[in-house]
Amino acid sequence: MKTKKTMTLNLTDAEMTALDELASAKDLTKTSVLRQALRLYQMVDHRARSGDKMFFENDASKEKTELMFL
Amino acid sequence: MAVHRIFLVASQTQESVEAQLHDAANAELLTRWEREWVPDLERAKQQLAAKNVPRAEWPHDLHWDWRKKLAYYKGLLGVETFAILCLERLQGLMMINLTKDARLAEQKGKPLVYVDFLQTAPWNRVDLVGSRQFEGIGTSLLLAAIARSEHEGFHGRIGLHSLPQSEGYYRTKLGMSDLGPDSLKQQLRYFEVSPEQARRLREEI
Amino acid sequence: MKFELTREQARKIARLEGDAVVGAGSPAFPEGEQAGISVVDFTSELRLAFGRFVALMRRNRRMTAEKLADQADIDLSELLSIEQDPHYVPEPRTVYQLANCFKVPEGRLMELAGLAIVRDVGFAQEAVRFAARSESIAKLTEEERSALEEFITLISSAK
Repeated sequence: MKTKKTMTLNLTDAEMTALDELASAKDLTKTSVLRQALRLYQMVDHRARSGDKMFFENDASKEKTELMFL
Repeated sequence: MAVHRIFLVASQTQESVEAQLHDAANAELLTRWEREWVPDLERAKQQLAAKNVPRAEWPHDLHWDWRKKLAYYKGLLGVETFAILCLERLQGLMMINLTKDARLAEQKGKPLVYVDFLQTAPWNRVDLVGSRQFEGIGTSLLLAAIARSEHEGFHGRIGLHSLPQSEGYYRTKLGMSDLGPDSLKQQLRYFEVSPEQARRLREEI
Repeated sequence: MKFELTREQARKIARLEGDAVVGAGSPAFPEGEQAGISVVDFTSELRLAFGRFVALMRRNRRMTAEKLADQADIDLSELLSIEQDPHYVPEPRTVYQLANCFKVPEGRLMELAGLAIVRDVGFAQEAVRFAARSESIAKLTEEERSALEEFITLISSAK
């Protein structure tokens, strides 16, 4: 069932700024940004636990530069 | 899980028939897939083999295992499955992913609803049985993906990798942007709908 | 989410679709499920091809097993297991060292060794064919040499 629960979130100035910037860049509401962050975190965690590794690949050089650890 | 009222057109009579769009998958839908689609898909494969059609030319979605797909993504917020039922039979399935970003230049970095898998029941496929029972299933599911995108604040943006036999339809009839073959997806062509294109589609239909 | 389609919309959609097949999605799946063939089907054949490849590469350079083990800085007993036991699962480092020694892409060699998922069914099929062509471990025949050379080209042209 899609009943919703309410949560109050206290954010620092820096966190709020980051949230504002992401919302603006991605053309999303702040709530949507947080929902998206939750989905992404869960997805990444799921893949990592399935044995996949997460890299950053440089588009130009195709070099895998950084391994992400969760 | 919500059920939405839609209509499909029955090919033979050209009459519109009431159908249901489900916005979540469950055990019952999976059972329907196994009982209603899989035997027909197996038969289709046997017929292709009997006609000596090379395997590389078979529609590449025949072996899709929806049970495996759903099990792999079980419990994840970022993945949702839609289904269309009509006259008590499963007519179409679609899996979407909410965690991907757009690739179109003007939309880069903005989230979209990515259509991971979109498949119509074997008896509705001209490429398998030469005829269809119902029309409009694939497009109805794509419209649902666009609606889901709007509902999520993604402004109707969707993306997908097309089955080779569907490319012309996406490009010409739906007016989707063709971003070309994707080397990371077996050279399948990647298509996107921008917010503007989504708006136009909605107005057209 | 509110969603519905009217009869009129359904008719418009049907007219738009015409005879088109409307589908989307790739043949592969996260865990490496390939078009109509389970990757698991190939693993033992791939390892056989791996062992043959290593053995033929060594013999083509007229090296003893000891010499290759030394040059590649790998364990001799492991090298012998790789060449002789198709069920043996090699250590990633060993595969890496052999790739560098033979100057072939390590990703491909890892796939052959069964340490990485094979995403290219074509490659898997070619590897199986190579294993069949290179059956007897004796002096490198013209057939074996030609099979080996073709396979090196294939393995090196991969991503």
